[in-house]
Amino acid sequence: MSTPNPSAAPNPSEYAGDEVSAIVLDPGYSTTRAGFAGEDVPKSVVPSFYGVLDSGSGPRYVYGENAIHNPLAGLEIKNPWSSDGIVEDWEAASKVWEYAITSRLTGAKPTDPRKNGLNDPSGEDMDVDMEGLEDNEKPLSDSPLLMTEPGWNSAKAREKYIEIAMEEWGTPAFYLAKTGVLAAFAAGKASGLVIDIGASMTSVTPVLDGMVLKKGVQKSSLAGNFVSNQLRLIFEQSQPKIPLTPHYMVTSKTAVDAGAPAQAVYRQFATPPGDSFRRLEEERVLTEFKESVVEIWNGPPGQHRFSQNEDSARSLPGRPFEMPDGWNQVFGVERFKAAEGLFDAAAAFTDEQHPRPKEEQTIPKLIQAAISSVDADQRTMLQNHIVVTGGSSLLYKITDRLGAEINALFPSTRNKLHAPGQVVERKYAAWIGGSILASLGSFHQLWISKKEYEEHGVNIVEKRCK
Amino acid sequence: MASSRDVRDMLGLGVGGDAQKTAVQKRPKPAAPTRKFQGVAREVAALYGERPPPVAVYEEKKSYRAKRQHAGLVRPWIQQPFSNPARSDGLILKHWRRKPTTQPAPTSGDDTPVVVDSNYEFAKYNVQVEVPTFTDNEYEAYLRSEDWSREETDYLLDMIKEYYYRWPIIADRYDWQPPPKPEPTDENGDTNVHALSALPFAPPKDRSIEDLKARFYEISAKLMKLRIPQEEMGAAEYARYDILTNFSPTTERHRKNLAIALMSRPMDEVKEEEFLLAELQRINMAANRLDSERIELRERLDAPMPNTQVAAGLTSFQSSQALQALIQQLYQQDRSKKRASGSGPPRLSLSANDIIGTPGSAQHSAALNSAASARRQTLPNAAANQATPQTPIRTLTPAQEHRFNVSTHDRLTSGVTFGSDKLLKMRQAKSNVQTQKIAAALAQLGIQELISIPTSRVGEVFERLVGKVGRLLDVRKVREKEEGECRVLEEMRRRKAEQGSAEGPKKNEISDSQDQSTDPNANMNAGVGGEGTPAGDADGEVDIDAEGEVDADGETDTRTQTPSEAAMPPAGHKRSASVLSQTSIQSSKRARR
Ligand SMILES: Nc1ncnc2c1ncn2[C@@H]1O[C@H](COP(=O)(O)OP(=O)(O)O)[C@@H](O)[C@H]1O
Ligand SMILES: [Mg+2]
Repeated sequence: MSTPNPSAAPNPSEYAGDEVSAIVLDPGYSTTRAGFAGEDVPKSVVPSFYGVLDSGSGPRYVYGENAIHNPLAGLEIKNPWSSDGIVEDWEAASKVWEYAITSRLTGAKPTDPRKNGLNDPSGEDMDVDMEGLEDNEKPLSDSPLLMTEPGWNSAKAREKYIEIAMEEWGTPAFYLAKTGVLAAFAAGKASGLVIDIGASMTSVTPVLDGMVLKKGVQKSSLAGNFVSNQLRLIFEQSQPKIPLTPHYMVTSKTAVDAGAPAQAVYRQFATPPGDSFRRLEEERVLTEFKESVVEIWNGPPGQHRFSQNEDSARSLPGRPFEMPDGWNQVFGVERFKAAEGLFDAAAAFTDEQHPRPKEEQTIPKLIQAAISSVDADQRTMLQNHIVVTGGSSLLYKITDRLGAEINALFPSTRNKLHAPGQVVERKYAAWIGGSILASLGSFHQLWISKKEYEEHGVNIVEKRCK
Repeated sequence: MASSRDVRDMLGLGVGGDAQKTAVQKRPKPAAPTRKFQGVAREVAALYGERPPPVAVYEEKKSYRAKRQHAGLVRPWIQQPFSNPARSDGLILKHWRRKPTTQPAPTSGDDTPVVVDSNYEFAKYNVQVEVPTFTDNEYEAYLRSEDWSREETDYLLDMIKEYYYRWPIIADRYDWQPPPKPEPTDENGDTNVHALSALPFAPPKDRSIEDLKARFYEISAKLMKLRIPQEEMGAAEYARYDILTNFSPTTERHRKNLAIALMSRPMDEVKEEEFLLAELQRINMAANRLDSERIELRERLDAPMPNTQVAAGLTSFQSSQALQALIQQLYQQDRSKKRASGSGPPRLSLSANDIIGTPGSAQHSAALNSAASARRQTLPNAAANQATPQTPIRTLTPAQEHRFNVSTHDRLTSGVTFGSDKLLKMRQAKSNVQTQKIAAALAQLGIQELISIPTSRVGEVFERLVGKVGRLLDVRKVREKEEGECRVLEEMRRRKAEQGSAEGPKKNEISDSQDQSTDPNANMNAGVGGEGTPAGDADGEVDIDAEGEVDADGETDTRTQTPSEAAMPPAGHKRSASVLSQTSIQSSKRARR
């Protein structure tokens, strides 16, 4: 076997991947994505929220889209992630993730018809394969697992990941990759600056040759949830107050004029679901609002901030939105203000519970901090390969604004933004990158095998997944 | 369409059923179900016209895909377990492969043990980098450093191997924790001492990427020298050695600071630089235009006498005849010199190349040269003729020529011209004023308007005279201009002297002004040499920036283009804009040694 020249490209036929039916799991705050490596979209996208029902004899947990949106009495909704983007509740997290894998991918394992005893002529060897059966009970016993983690994950959290995968799910091989790197891979780049605007966290990650420059990773909580909260504040602070009624509350509605109070029949509950359930359902309405009404302000060059040309925004046509209960209105300047806080801390709406974000948490400042913590020789390259991903990067016109902000930050260099037009590629970039990586033939030497895990323990993940 | 109806209308004819009929007729007939040709391009089919050829040319072609041919049995796929030789733990994964046909058909399927494939095609991508190694003795003898402990050096080398020479990542992940010193058994139990000893002896240093590189390059260079003596190094090895030894962290840091300063220029500066560059270009263009105008003027003033001697100036060699004469003359000189100096090397090498190679552009001279030598061989002309008469034709002596009024011409224009016309034309200049001036000058010399016998010789003389008159007029004009300038300067000097009599380098100023007025060449030189000065004067800072940009650009470009460059130790030169120039510098250095 000849050793190829490391700098020579492999010939085209060798680019081909080699699929080993690995599973890629990309857990996020809002949804958890799972699917087989080599496919181009995750087969299983389940909410990361889960429900807790108090059923007399201890709590009962429910997972999945259908279960958590069902307004059962006393249903409380929880999320295993903390607000700073690291898993808090490991017990719950492992259950949610397992649900994501088993509900669509592996399924409940049927036992081998040859071995389940049903086809045996006599019952002699019924208990032969008991250990094997036990092994099979683990959901991942024959799929290698590639998991993603945020760039700022703690060493302890990483060890927990491999522990869950190996001990609870019994995976034969495991690997942990950073979302930033994978998003860059999905964009076809091994190096670049990845701006990920997700649900709970916005992060800026410099990636070089498939590795994260740890000192440059920047994160802040100005992301999708922040925009939702801004919307809540807008609704509360407007005169009169805008009612936010989620779908499950409404039985029927009648059309009303814009701004007129809603005329709907509301549903009555003997024991209503918990407040957290209502909040989750409100969040769905808000996401709809973000998708259809909110727009990021783009001023003329040099004055892209909303505060710099508020008056010209007033003259633009508004957009109508109808709440589930029929209340509706045309939203004018508010729709530009809702997400302005991502870029300009001074423009954020505030109240007692929601203090003004710090200026250094805004996206332009994150980018600036990330770039300035990178060695001078890499900066121009990074600025030339900026990748935008995350669900909240789908906010209307956010990439234009990002481009303007970046050009204002670095006027003397060539800055190039890569933002895929396809919604799926934006939302699931990290998963897609993982799918590419885990189906490469040359990747299979990097897996941490069960044997290695047993030999070295959990801290092997620090050594191998760099 | 409507024209016939219009005509009818005009003629007062009714728009009867007649018109209706024509309209109906004009409607295109429903296309007859023409047979479509198959197997012939539409354009070709159109060429057949209305009548298809008697024999239809088309090939029978089925549009269905050919039926899949399958020979033999269906080859099944299996989940083939494989192990990867690049791994040490023998992990077995499964991928889908065609079931090998050579195997005997499984009789009872499940019981045959599946063979684990251990020849994995992607294992060859498991490439490890090479990192210099050394023994303990070598380390003690050559590699010790004040700043670096042995442990940290090992750690650095491990990091380099682990991260494949990717320096930015090595610097990012570099986190050296010195091993805690064994606690000294101190009886005093002094808390201070304990607190100190609890600390690592030396707190971990904050190593920058340059520090790491410097240490590694130092080690590599020393080991390289140890392994291969300097004299035995090949060119490539030596170049590498040179780069390794010349790495300077401070210059590197300085370069990066410059690059950062360049990258973080505010918008205003970028715009200003653009503006200044545009301005500079404008100034340069103006300077060039001025220069060319000056040169033109100078040429007109210094125009040499036609057919004067060689020393008159290069402009006299503009005709091939003159050049030929010159070559001949120099050749003769050279030969005589050679003869005089004997065996010694000729002081002045004299090929036609050298003579003509000096003036003007190389291309021009080369063209002249080849033309001249070609002539010398094939077409001996007047000058050459005199020296080496080849033809047996009877030649006339100049006196005879004069007597018989024979004249030779390079080229004759066709047709007949009158000598008087020629003379009249000569009196006319481009501008009216000039014509009048020439006429006045000629009148002053007492030359009649009409010259009675305008022979060709008279014409010649007259031409020369008019030329001189023209030059005289030019000189006069220039003199007037200079005088005016002198007066202005004189006035300026006077005023300056009045203002501040104490200081004021008057002499300088005068000589300056004289310089300017008398020697346009010097002026032109100043213009060309000082082309950058206007911009530099305006803002020296920006000038530096502009310079730096070129530098940084080159740097970053080479870096981004070759990611594997990280694996190669870069040079410590600040201006390593292009690898090419660098290596050439090095090779020249080597040659000098
Ligand atoms: N079309 C859209 N417009 C605006 N926001 C969106 C859109 N689609 C999804 N989002 C927001 O994106 C967030 C989810 O992004 P995602 O990258 O999946 O987050 P995470 O990785 O943390 O799970 C949610 O806050 C959601 O409201
Ligand atoms: Mg995410």
